[in-house]
Amino acid sequence: MKIAVQLLMALIGSAGFGLVFNVHGKKLAFAALGGFLAWGVYLLALAFGTSDYAAAFFATVAVFFYAELMARLLRAPVTVFSVVSTIPLIPGAGLYRTMDALMQKDYAAFGQQGMYTLLFAASMAAGIVAATAIVSLVKKKPDLKSDAIR
Amino acid sequence: MDTKPEFTEEYLHCAMDIGEQMLMSGAEVSRVEDAIRRICLSAGASRVDVLSITASIITTAHLVNGKTFTESRRITASANNMDKLDQLNDLCRRICSTHPAPQKIQAEIRQINDGRQYPYWIKVCSYALVSGSFCVLFGGSWRDMIASALIGILLKMLESVIRRRQVNAMLNVLLISLAGGVLSRLSVLSGLAGHADLVSYGNIMLFIPGVAFTNSLRDLFIGDTITGSIRLLESLLQAIVIAAGFTFAHYLF
Repeated sequence: MKIAVQLLMALIGSAGFGLVFNVHGKKLAFAALGGFLAWGVYLLALAFGTSDYAAAFFATVAVFFYAELMARLLRAPVTVFSVVSTIPLIPGAGLYRTMDALMQKDYAAFGQQGMYTLLFAASMAAGIVAATAIVSLVKKKPDLKSDAIR
Repeated sequence: MDTKPEFTEEYLHCAMDIGEQMLMSGAEVSRVEDAIRRICLSAGASRVDVLSITASIITTAHLVNGKTFTESRRITASANNMDKLDQLNDLCRRICSTHPAPQKIQAEIRQINDGRQYPYWIKVCSYALVSGSFCVLFGGSWRDMIASALIGILLKMLESVIRRRQVNAMLNVLLISLAGGVLSRLSVLSGLAGHADLVSYGNIMLFIPGVAFTNSLRDLFIGDTITGSIRLLESLLQAIVIAAGFTFAHYLF
């Protein structure tokens, strides 16, 4: 399928979830754009020959940097952007295929899909942790008594 | 320091109310703990111990004179509401910098609780958008996309009807999945769509707890082990129920 269509659908899908999650106005637009970015980085990493898992890791890191930036510019918690922007990457289909294989008693597929989904989600989780750690290293040490929380 | 108020139980109430609402709006437990701790410290507590899991929050605030206040909350429901989370976060920041009176904070919380929501028709359309776009992303044709979007609309309506009954959450998901499976078969039988499974993929994306699953692993990685385990188990169970619903629907035809 054409890459442009995929990217467009990632954008629309993220925007749709932005509406479901009650994100409004400018924040909705930029959160959805993050979904576009997520899928773009994912496809780019795959084009460089990385595995699905590494691509998921890099895309998640990119999205979280983007979310941190947007949180600063638009004065909102990072979560508002990160939850919506990671939507295209989230292995929801893999999770479904895993459980579907279980229902069909196809245990080989269950193991295969289950492992793929688990590793994919773990790669994303590792990306979240890595990006958050890097950001907190760069950020000033927060002063518990006065600093604003993000 | 003289601008700081004397710490009273009312401040703990406020902090817990804000934490509770944040958790119910889809905030991470680490964020909730952080918010409660900051509010209590800025209100004059000398030490604050907070433990939050998805189902409950417990806080003890220690005062300089040795007194302690403890409060716990049981959390039963949560749904992502980013606009509310945004406003609560903002309120929390203002409390820490300007120390408003507890009555004022309570008034603001009430205002945030009746915050803006999208009108119903937009919520319905958002389900159609998500279903349609993911159907195409998984390789569906434009006719599959239309079928998936239409079924998304019907499922949203079904969801709002059965949510009102407040039965078991897993039963709700099972009923919706069953309906989704049946409708996708009907869309193929009626000649609208070509692939029932691709049509269903768009609809499944709305209900499959992929975000919760990924976040549960993140919680486990950063050391929120209890929350991570609970969420992991919940999301796996919900995914099984969804698969069971669609599988059963496909056996019917």
